[in-house]
Amino acid sequence: MTDRDLMIEARGVQKWYPNGYHALRGVDLNVYRGEVVVIMGPSGSGKSTFIRTFNALEDIQGGSIVVDGMTLSDDVRNIDAIRREVGMVFQQFNLFPHLTVLENLCLAPVLVRKRKKAEVEQEALALLERVNIREQAHKYPGQLSGGQQQRVAIARSLCMEPRVMLFDEPTSALDPEMVQEVLEVMQELAREGMTMVVVTHEVRFARQVASRVVLMAEGEVVEMAPPEQFFTAPQHERTRQFLSQIA
Amino acid sequence: MAPSVTPWWRNRRLIPWLVQAAVGLLVLVLVAFLLGNLVQNLAAAGLLLTWRWIGNPAGFDIAGSWLPFSADQPYWWALLAGLVNTLRVVVIGLIGASIVGTAVGVASFSGNALLRGLARVYVELIRNIPLLLQLVFWYFVVFLSLPGGAQAIQWPGVVLAQSGLYLGMPELVNGVWQAPIRLSVEFAALLTGLIVYISAFISEVVRGGIASVPKGQWEAARALGFSPLQTLRRVVLPQALPVIVPGLNNQYISLAKSSSLAIACGYADLYSVAETTLNQTGRAVEVMVILLGAYLAMDLVISALMNALNRAVQLRSR
Amino acid sequence: MERSSSLQRLRAALFASRLDGLITVVLLAALLAGGQALLHWLVFKAQWAVIQANSTLFAIGRYPLDQQWRLWLLSVLLAAATGVSWGWLRAFPRPDRRTRLWPANDRLAAAVLAGLALLLPLFLQLSAAISQRWWGITALLLACRWWAGRVGPALPAAVRRGWPVIWPLLYLLGMTLIAGGLGLPVVSPSRWGGLLLTLIEASFAILLCFPLGVLLALGRRSRLPLLRWLSVLYIEFIRGAPLITLLFLGQNILGLLLPGGFSPDRVWRAAWVLTFFAAAYVAEAVRSGLVALPPGQMEAARALGLPVHQAMLKVVLPQALRVALPAMVGQFINLLQDTTLLSLIGLFELLGTARAVMANPAFLGKDAEVYLVLAVLFWCCCAALGLGSRALETRLNSNPQPA
Repeated sequence: MTDRDLMIEARGVQKWYPNGYHALRGVDLNVYRGEVVVIMGPSGSGKSTFIRTFNALEDIQGGSIVVDGMTLSDDVRNIDAIRREVGMVFQQFNLFPHLTVLENLCLAPVLVRKRKKAEVEQEALALLERVNIREQAHKYPGQLSGGQQQRVAIARSLCMEPRVMLFDEPTSALDPEMVQEVLEVMQELAREGMTMVVVTHEVRFARQVASRVVLMAEGEVVEMAPPEQFFTAPQHERTRQFLSQIA
Repeated sequence: MAPSVTPWWRNRRLIPWLVQAAVGLLVLVLVAFLLGNLVQNLAAAGLLLTWRWIGNPAGFDIAGSWLPFSADQPYWWALLAGLVNTLRVVVIGLIGASIVGTAVGVASFSGNALLRGLARVYVELIRNIPLLLQLVFWYFVVFLSLPGGAQAIQWPGVVLAQSGLYLGMPELVNGVWQAPIRLSVEFAALLTGLIVYISAFISEVVRGGIASVPKGQWEAARALGFSPLQTLRRVVLPQALPVIVPGLNNQYISLAKSSSLAIACGYADLYSVAETTLNQTGRAVEVMVILLGAYLAMDLVISALMNALNRAVQLRSR
Repeated sequence: MERSSSLQRLRAALFASRLDGLITVVLLAALLAGGQALLHWLVFKAQWAVIQANSTLFAIGRYPLDQQWRLWLLSVLLAAATGVSWGWLRAFPRPDRRTRLWPANDRLAAAVLAGLALLLPLFLQLSAAISQRWWGITALLLACRWWAGRVGPALPAAVRRGWPVIWPLLYLLGMTLIAGGLGLPVVSPSRWGGLLLTLIEASFAILLCFPLGVLLALGRRSRLPLLRWLSVLYIEFIRGAPLITLLFLGQNILGLLLPGGFSPDRVWRAAWVLTFFAAAYVAEAVRSGLVALPPGQMEAARALGLPVHQAMLKVVLPQALRVALPAMVGQFINLLQDTTLLSLIGLFELLGTARAVMANPAFLGKDAEVYLVLAVLFWCCCAALGLGSRALETRLNSNPQPA
């Protein structure tokens, strides 16, 4: 793996919350092009906070983060540039309820990348086709089910043609029967070579799709390994403890 | 790639401070400019801030004052008399508006369609006509047109005449009514206007509160054999009050502030006394400070009382 | 069978119990007595000469006679613009509704307008020339409505989207026509009066208090302490003060706050005070809208790369304002009603004109007639605004929001 393939390089990331709590205690992570890195861990371990530092939704007090060669700094312009290339899918979907599905997708490319609306609409419709939701293009998010909304959210991020996609517990807020349709979309995305960092509890997804699985606890990386090794032969006691809790 | 130096005006950590500094500077400059002009203009007119004038004799009269007042009393006594007049109208107005407003609010849930309709008409009518217009209507069209002397409207214990409202045991002595309690027509008109206007808004607050109580409560009470009145008193109102009280706070403050329109009814409340004082002494800044301070104090007292009431009516949950 | 069931319904509604029956009887008796007295007064005792003789004063104050053509021109433009806007609003319903050129509500509204246009000039005993102009203007409004409805769907979407820009342009043009400048002789604000002055004050305050209120609401919710404290200070100070004291302050202190005692005309001083006053209340309404926003909206917008101002304009504010709309329109209605307070500081808007008219010995004692007409006028305007707000609300909320 050359340096040109290093999509995310996080070195010694430190973060304290305003109330003094030490959320991230010197975390290192390298994510290479085309990889799917799954981050797991108990609640409060800092895994969501960690991936939110990649697109500066959380700021850091120590360490460095480099996204595809762009170092994350305090420069507002730099942050916006990085956010354009990093897509994020939230646990609560966060679709814009006052816009139709199609408008949700086209808003950012038109305003941020300054592209023509007609062009973007064509691409958006193609994306909706990919996530099997083309016929809902003119509906409003409130008319869709949770699974459909999350697929729209994924399509919305993809519409910006990001180089990396971050997923923050994408299926945790879904009813069980809808989890599968979203995971299938994510699986398809991985197969097409998207670089993905996914925070999730879905073990089966991790086993089938992940290149590496990372365990975080108390703001630190405890273990990092390919899924076969991670789930069958974990090295650390903490990992064994965690796996026994979610089995 | 070596990280480039972030220019200060794009630095995410500095921007909040820059914005605050800019806004703070702007506000300071504005305030300094205005105050500077103020001091300069006041000095030129020989009206620099002082409170010595407040002991000077007022030179005007206050009709219908509760506190004994005459033209040789000092200004501060006059303002106090005005404040007392305002408080009179506000306190009685709050009680009256609450009673009428609650009645109308409850009436909109009555089984009687005519009563419900009338309540609706009342609210929609009152809300869409300006208060000042209603006040001058009550004063000039209704109360000033009351017959006087022997033709006055006489009810048991109450007499409505052009010279005032008499309560107690009114009796006609040499063509002039006398009674233990006499309210001026100005006071009566202001009170009536305020009560009618604010009651419409209070009725909406009460209606919203009662409507927020789940229908199942009414049904359960009926199944248990409660009469509609008992249901209201024992079951619905206690659950509606936590929703009603915060809304009432707003309406009470609104009434207190609206009392300042008394000048349209010729009633000498705090604002009207203050206006006269300002016109006579030219002490604009001092009078404004007194006025605004007094109304602010009234609002704070009302809010404090309503907050205490709010805490008292909150349903205790485990 | 039909008649008996409706009779039964009436019985259930009005005479369900003995108490109910008693209440119904008492209320009906009171209503009939009151109604009869009112009708008697209206038909026999009321003298409407006070309105008729002063109709110009009530309408436009002491606007110079030779410059009144400017107001007529403005009325014509407003009628045309209103008609076209109304037509296009109706001709372009949401994509999931069917189009009808003249839905039932519209026909009712048109009938009411036509009726008013016919009856008012007769009631006010306006001259033939003026009556004809009003009929012409109303006809123009309805014609534009009809034309816009027919032609609308054929026009390109860009025209329809760009149309609302006509309103700010018309407003600026209107103020120029009214006040003067740009080659037209100046008409001093002291000559503006009656309904004209009421509308100018109300529209000025409504237009300006809205952006100011939004800024204050954003400031109040800001994470920056200075902005938050300044906003809170402003809002709580204004909300604690009665409007009349602020108007009084504006009249008396503004001159002291500006260099050399210079102060703008009383009309503008009052307009600015109304603006600053209403902004505090609008801020509270907008704040409730911001609070109702689902959390994560701003985050999602920023994560997509949208800069802060775009996120605000396209994501946060549209949603917040939708929620805040009923409360905001309520404040606008209050503003319209609050213009009556200007009569207490010596301005001659509707109520001030009324008081001045009644001071005229020829019209002494005609208070009831004048106040009644004013009450009806205000009631119609405020009720119409309220209805419009509810209609706008329904239209905006017809796209389903998440539960």
